[in-house]
Amino acid sequence: MEATDLTTELNLDDPGVSLRAVGALHRFAERIEASSVRLARDRGWSWEQIGDALGTSRQSAHAKYGKRG
Amino acid sequence: MVTRLSPDARKVLACAAQEARRRGDRRLGTDHLLLGLLCDPDSSAAAALGVDLAAARAASDSLDQAALAAVGVNVAHLGNPAPAGFSRRHVSLTSGARAVMTVAVGQTRRAKSPRIGSAELLRALLARELPDPAAELLTALAVDRARVSSSLDGSN
Repeated sequence: MEATDLTTELNLDDPGVSLRAVGALHRFAERIEASSVRLARDRGWSWEQIGDALGTSRQSAHAKYGKRG
Repeated sequence: MVTRLSPDARKVLACAAQEARRRGDRRLGTDHLLLGLLCDPDSSAAAALGVDLAAARAASDSLDQAALAAVGVNVAHLGNPAPAGFSRRHVSLTSGARAVMTVAVGQTRRAKSPRIGSAELLRALLARELPDPAAELLTALAVDRARVSSSLDGSN
C-alpha cells in the first residue's frame, strides 16, 4: 500500500469537522470501553486481564470502573 | 463582587458535568453547559430555547456521526452512553466554558444582580460563535438566537 497524505485521502479540509471527529472517536471509544468492561466482569474476567486488554494497569481499570452501581 | 451562583445556575453546572461524564468527555465544554440548561424542562432557559434535552443530545450525536463519516468512519449507532457514576468524577472546564462563566459574571454585575442565574449563562452561550461547540449545537438545532434572547428579556 502506497503512502498517502491522510489529509487528502480522507478529505480533511474542514478542521472543524475533523477535530470533532477526534472527539467523537474518543467518546465512542469510552462507550465501547464501558460496556466491554461490564461484559468482561460479568463473564468473570479479572481486573488484571481487563487492564492488560486495555493496555492499562489493573489498578487504573478498577479505579475507573470498579465502583459501579 | 459577584462570585456566587444562584441555585438554578448551580443545578445547570451539575447537570452539565453529568452530561460531560455521560458522553465520555474529559472536560466540561460550552455544549455541555447548553445541555445542562435543558436539564430542567420547566426552567425559563429551557422554555426560551424551545428544545428539549433528548433532541439536543440527539443533535449532538448526529454531529458526531457526520464528523466520523467525513473521516471515513461509519457508525450506524453510537451505542449507549456510560452509566451515571461509572466514569471519573471530576471534570474541569474547557477554556470556552470558562469564558462563558466570565461573561455571565460580567452581565450579572452590570445588572446588579446578587447571583449568577441560568439566564446569564444562556445569554453568554448565545453569544458564542462557530467553531464553538455550543454554537455548533445551536446551529444544528436551528435555534433562532435573536428570538431566544428576546424571550429571555420578556421573562425577566
